[in-house]
Amino acid sequence: MSSRARFEEQVLPHVDAAYNLARWLTRNDHDADDVLQDAMLRAYRFFDGLRGDARPWLLAIVRNACWTWLQANRPAELTVVDEAEADTPGPEAILARELDRRAVNQAIAALPVPFREALVLRELEDLSYKDIARIAGVPIGTVMSRLARARRLLSEILRPAASAPRLRVHK
Amino acid sequence: MRDDKLHAYLDGELDAAASLELEREMTQSPALRASYERLRELSAAVRENADYHAAPARFKAGTRKPRTWMLAPAFALVLLAGIALGMFLAQPRDTDALGADVVASHVRATLAGRLTEVASSDQHTVKPWLSARLPFSPPVADLSPDGYALVGARLDYVAGQSLAALVYKRREHVIDVFVSPGARDAAPSAYTRDGFNVTRFARGGMRYWIVSDLNRNELDDFARLLAR
Repeated sequence: MSSRARFEEQVLPHVDAAYNLARWLTRNDHDADDVLQDAMLRAYRFFDGLRGDARPWLLAIVRNACWTWLQANRPAELTVVDEAEADTPGPEAILARELDRRAVNQAIAALPVPFREALVLRELEDLSYKDIARIAGVPIGTVMSRLARARRLLSEILRPAASAPRLRVHK
Repeated sequence: MRDDKLHAYLDGELDAAASLELEREMTQSPALRASYERLRELSAAVRENADYHAAPARFKAGTRKPRTWMLAPAFALVLLAGIALGMFLAQPRDTDALGADVVASHVRATLAGRLTEVASSDQHTVKPWLSARLPFSPPVADLSPDGYALVGARLDYVAGQSLAALVYKRREHVIDVFVSPGARDAAPSAYTRDGFNVTRFARGGMRYWIVSDLNRNELDDFARLLAR
């Protein structure tokens, strides 16, 4: 089988996951498109080096392309976030039934990049901590604390909207 | 730390012994149980509500559908260039999917002002740059004596394969030459797509698509020089 045919068979089935990650990290279609274009070229170039599962392999390339792009274009988004575990109680009660798509999407988009990437890979791609650690290039313990932090931040962002009294609108 | 354990338990990442231990703790602590339930609800809310962004069709191999989101900027460019709408309507519908994608790539690069990743008029700079980044080595011709200046090259990824895009200029007209390996030799065939003149041919184990807003006579001349 030719190299291109193997690439199409092994790598292209994961292009949706690749785009989803790029789209969540860049937060718009146009930039996600550019980053994925670049990442797919790199994937094609380094395809001979692929051992094992193509999915985390491709996502790691896409993730690195995203970070390179963010460093060049939006360095402020990568300024060091304090990852130390704050001594706060667990997630507040949120009324999941009252959450709409828009609120959830906005809340995820508002997360700092390292937490957003961990959450997207876990909740939307259903990847194991081990795969997420490999993709993000961090230890498994860091993945665990980033996920915990992401969920805590999410519940903080979502809680006021869900529990605040409805505004009266005077017509 | 117990909080991290709740997350690991939720994610199925806790080993059997630790899971049993946590479950036992939860039966004894309603507060812990409630924390876990809130966490589970949050996770479910994310999974149910978060957008999943599937890749645009052009990243998938073998797609044959027209990509309207790419035709929109192409159309704007056509209007800007003042090319007659009649030409646009008269474009032939060939079945060459790559042909459509290379035109879209030309438009994207032109609109974004990112024609070249390696900017050089020297074929001995451009060719090694491309060879180092592609699984093939495209021929790079110096056509400056004939009035077609090499300005550089970029890489492109179209319909599941990587291409070299060589960039030439004739006056202020940009000429993109897309090169990819494969196919038996084929004589040049010319057509117009979205107002751009396109010529494609195959020679020496390489396929070529030439895309430009240059007039047809000069583009034919350019194609002859390239194929010689």
